[in-house]
Amino acid sequence: MVYTRRSVWPLVIGIIMVAYAYLVQSGNMAGLIKFLNTGRYAGEMVTLGYAFGSVAVVVGLWQVLATPREGHGDYYLSTVAGVMFIMLVAFIVKWGLDPLMASWGHAARPTLGFDFASVLNLNYVVMGILAGIIVVNVFKVPQWAENGVRLSRLGLKTGVILLGALYSFAELAQLGKLSVLMIGVFVLGSVWLVLTIGMRRNLPNSMTGVLSSGVGVCGVSAAVAAAPVVQAKSLEIAYTIGTILLFGVLCMFLFPIVGRAFGMGYIQFGAWAGTGILNSAQVAGAALAFQPGGIETLKVAEIFNITRVLFLPIIVLWLAVWYVKREEGAEKVDLVQVIVGKFPIFVLGFILMFALSSTGIFAPAQHYQGSYFDNSEKAMTTRDKEGKPVSTLLGDKDLGALKAEADKIQRQDQKAALQRLIENKKLMSIDDDDTLRGVVNAKIMSKAANDVLTKAHRAVRHTAKKIAMFRDLIAWFFTFGLVGLGMQITMSSIKQAGGQPLVVGSIVGVIKAIGSLIVVWLLVAETI
Amino acid sequence: MAEDKFDRGSALTVFKSDRREDFMALVLSLIIALLVYLFI
Repeated sequence: MVYTRRSVWPLVIGIIMVAYAYLVQSGNMAGLIKFLNTGRYAGEMVTLGYAFGSVAVVVGLWQVLATPREGHGDYYLSTVAGVMFIMLVAFIVKWGLDPLMASWGHAARPTLGFDFASVLNLNYVVMGILAGIIVVNVFKVPQWAENGVRLSRLGLKTGVILLGALYSFAELAQLGKLSVLMIGVFVLGSVWLVLTIGMRRNLPNSMTGVLSSGVGVCGVSAAVAAAPVVQAKSLEIAYTIGTILLFGVLCMFLFPIVGRAFGMGYIQFGAWAGTGILNSAQVAGAALAFQPGGIETLKVAEIFNITRVLFLPIIVLWLAVWYVKREEGAEKVDLVQVIVGKFPIFVLGFILMFALSSTGIFAPAQHYQGSYFDNSEKAMTTRDKEGKPVSTLLGDKDLGALKAEADKIQRQDQKAALQRLIENKKLMSIDDDDTLRGVVNAKIMSKAANDVLTKAHRAVRHTAKKIAMFRDLIAWFFTFGLVGLGMQITMSSIKQAGGQPLVVGSIVGVIKAIGSLIVVWLLVAETI
Repeated sequence: MAEDKFDRGSALTVFKSDRREDFMALVLSLIIALLVYLFI
């Protein structure tokens, strides 16, 4: 069959994107950009507008003028129109609706007594997903865009793999211990709870088994992986997926609101979302919705999410033994084949990207959260507006402020680090930097002296350009994937949830969400 | 049976299987990483 649907809309979308990029570049949109306070996005408006617009114009012209014949070319080119449709929605939401809603929320504060945009978490991630849900359920995804919407999961998986480039061994070692512990308890605990409740409620073993994997591990892919082991029927898989999707969508909107109400930090929320939300895509959605302006929360949440996926082989083994014991005459399945055949390769891709990044090809290998320590003369020289080199070493006035308050410090290691800073006019090691960050956090000295310490900290900490580029790309891959994901959340897919599986899944899902919230709140510090 | 031959993927993906989608995401990521490495 021919997949390309002849339509003028891809061409129109392309022209709109290119025209918008040109208007921004030529300064004709300056008034609107100022009104919406979106100046920080001007660069990407031009780059992405031209890039996606040009592709949409070329493919749009081809669709209008040529007669597609069935084949691989037609099949894959037919996805381009849908990708452009998603990107157009994403552009409108991120560069238009998000800042507009923030402005309205701020303006309505005196009348309502609260900022509704902030309280309801109406940022571009949430609104992007909502826009997708509205498009598919109210207007329907246009036929010419349907094939491209099915690429959204590819966008999410690519985003997860690229995320591996942002981690360092130091970060992963710290978060890894915490995530293995928390995920171990909650994954194994939820699987056990679903199996127990399912048996008490006399659910079929195949239904209980597939539901336990879906609720316990990582949602849809875990349910699919466990299905052959417990010989689940397609309707049981559909029930499980429906339950996970319904619960996941609710969590995606509720978690960020609760997280803000509790005043959670990035690590706390990331740990909670990565543990408590059932499905991978919704974990990413909630993390980005909580922190739309950065991806620190997403990084933590994905570490937890990936740790959870790594538990999949253990769960599959457990379910196989459980099922064979419960079902007399159950067909024996090749466990190794199931695990090798169903284990998500994108998780291995994440680890591969992390390994590549750890060799130091994107940033110095010791980078932490994308930033690295370098106090060499070259690294501590910046350029002023006229291009003249300027040293970032501490000046005499700065050193005077530190010397005047040096006596306030009692701890020997802090005294020694401060002494080395004063002697060398710059921080001499990562350890000294960390030690003196402790002095700043403890507010031992005055604000003026702390400002000097912060200045010294910033002078030796640098963000690698390649890592910064990865951050931008990852944010866009997730935005694309989540808007597209919204377009796949149809009422009929949610209605697949129902009956006993929904009751059991919801009970365990709520226990897991509340239990992990309590553990995170009590035991996870914001800095590890 | 041309209708069936190209009626591929599922409601969630254009690829024949999750495994193929994973591989495509991996290939895409490696290409992007190479471009970032070379040009940034």
